[in-house]
Amino acid sequence: MLEIKNLHVSLEEEDKQIIKGLDLTINAGEVNAIMGPNGSGKSTLSYVLAGRPGYVVTDGSITYKGQDLLEMGIDERAAAGVFLAFQYPIEIPGVATMQFLKVALNAQRKARNEGEMTTPEFMRLVREKAEKLNVTTDMLKRPVNVGFSGGEKKRAEILQMAVLEPALCVLDETDSGLDIDALRLVAEGVNALRSPERAMLLITHYQRLLDYIVPDKVHVMSDGRIVKSGGKELALELEKDGYAAFAA
Amino acid sequence: MTVTLMKTPAETAYTDAFDPQGALADVRKSAFAQFAETGLPHRRMEDWKWTDLRQLMSSPLPPVSGTTASAGTIDALISASPFGDVARARLVFVDGAYDADRSSLPATGDVEFASLGSDDLPGWVSDKLVAGSTDPIAALNLAYMSDGAGLRVKAGSSMDAPIELLFVTTAEQAATYTTRNVVVLEEGASATLIETHIGGTGEYVHNAVTQLHIANKARLDRVKVQEEGLEAIHLSNTEVHLADSAYLKDFTLTIGGHATRQQGFVTFEGEHTESHVSGAFLLTGKQHNDTRLVIDHAVPNCLSRELFKCVMDEAARGIFQGKAIVRRDAQKTDGNQSSHALLLSDEAEFDAKPELEIYADDVVCGHGATSGDLDENQMFYLRARGIPETEAKSMLIGAFAAEAFDDVESDAIRDVLGGLAEGWLERRKAG
Repeated sequence: MLEIKNLHVSLEEEDKQIIKGLDLTINAGEVNAIMGPNGSGKSTLSYVLAGRPGYVVTDGSITYKGQDLLEMGIDERAAAGVFLAFQYPIEIPGVATMQFLKVALNAQRKARNEGEMTTPEFMRLVREKAEKLNVTTDMLKRPVNVGFSGGEKKRAEILQMAVLEPALCVLDETDSGLDIDALRLVAEGVNALRSPERAMLLITHYQRLLDYIVPDKVHVMSDGRIVKSGGKELALELEKDGYAAFAA
Repeated sequence: MTVTLMKTPAETAYTDAFDPQGALADVRKSAFAQFAETGLPHRRMEDWKWTDLRQLMSSPLPPVSGTTASAGTIDALISASPFGDVARARLVFVDGAYDADRSSLPATGDVEFASLGSDDLPGWVSDKLVAGSTDPIAALNLAYMSDGAGLRVKAGSSMDAPIELLFVTTAEQAATYTTRNVVVLEEGASATLIETHIGGTGEYVHNAVTQLHIANKARLDRVKVQEEGLEAIHLSNTEVHLADSAYLKDFTLTIGGHATRQQGFVTFEGEHTESHVSGAFLLTGKQHNDTRLVIDHAVPNCLSRELFKCVMDEAARGIFQGKAIVRRDAQKTDGNQSSHALLLSDEAEFDAKPELEIYADDVVCGHGATSGDLDENQMFYLRARGIPETEAKSMLIGAFAAEAFDDVESDAIRDVLGGLAEGWLERRKAG
């Protein structure tokens, strides 16, 4: 589903290379985890996948479902099924969460030449998914992420993911700032979305999240490269020995 | 007293036409004398430095009242009011004159209406028509006002069904139309008032004054929508007098007009009074909106809030001048004003001039002004959820402006305002 080859990424504003020759292949149905110390380039990878301005790909390629992802616009990628759950979800004052979700879903459906969803259909869909994630009606009425607690923001991200049903879910430090109950709730939400057609990329610093969302593959990232790949047991090794062995 | 020679063609036209008659002749004479002291305000006057009327009004625009337009033209403009389904009573003024046939009076004895164009004004109106405003445009208005609504809401009555004052200017003549409203809320009364200004294409000036006299424990919710023609100059003054425990919530949306100068003067005359004045501008092309507020805390224990959200596209220019005066006795004043500008093009411009004059020592007062472009992180977030760029921009602009009318009490009116903002955004996308 996703094939990253020899990826090199720099920051636009300063001449600093963050990703230095990264290779990664993710197949449909898999859950891949990328672990690594702070500053290894994990979040940069997630932003490059979503198309955030400010990052320049200086070399390499990213192919998504056979298409050149780097040629696609931000919203085009979303409509094609790429979803980034933000580490720090952005607040949008003045735009109600429900309204935002509806515009987003219908924009994606339109881009895929699918019919728009009617309001009652949409409300039913969101209510059902919101309930499972303990997202209250009050939260849905409030402006996007405004006044949400850390845990509420993360649950709202997973709700968006559940409603938009992307093919490739990239979760950037989804566990950060969550207490154990919130983590469990979020993990249940993510696990419910696992399917043979869908791939997931979990980006995390700690092994903790992987107790709840068990990955098929674990990759260690250090200084802008994948330095080791293995099964879920690799995460446990890291938890025991730390990242020191992989330091650049 | 220095007498300025009035010599621009527009000033000459005002002087030549001046011939006051009737009961108000003396009031009009003193008002005109006051106007003549300065003539048309110009850029060398500090409060007018951004809006030079001598320059803007380069040709004569003689004062006129009464229409020459066809019924079809008038009806088309009236039907352009967005409040057709919301207003429960409507007073229509066409080219500066009351149009009884196109109006529907409030169906209750709790509200009294008088046309200010009438020769025989009731005392509750004529008492309020007093020369003495230091503003030259307000003085010019009193000298020439041809009509407008006198409204009295009787003590203790609630007029929550909105009354619309609809001012239609057909722009058939390059002229000045002068209207004035006198709104009196007696003790404990409450009312919802809509003021709509709609104009056709062509050069004209609309000089509009609204006086709001809000008695003890009375509450007024007022919404003004300005959609004058795009070649028009809209000059407006709102004068507010608030008695003990009175409450005002006022919102103005400006979409129309080539040049707009709107001023609001709020005077706290009684304690424990609240005033909330907010506004939004949605400007494009070379539109100009200069808003000036003077909030005068003359007595203790009052609260004032001002919030303006200004969207400027293309080469539009917005100005917000907010002045708060807290007089020596006005202890425990709680005052806060802010203006926020969203500049959608490199050519757009916004100027903010907050002024605080505080003479009391136990007060909480603040002001803030921001100006900027759309937030890149917000744009990225919306697009990362599949919302195309133009639509994402519209969402953010709409949300920015809506903050200024979020707390308009009536859901129906708020929906209309949202619709107007959406219409502006649709035209922008299409344009």
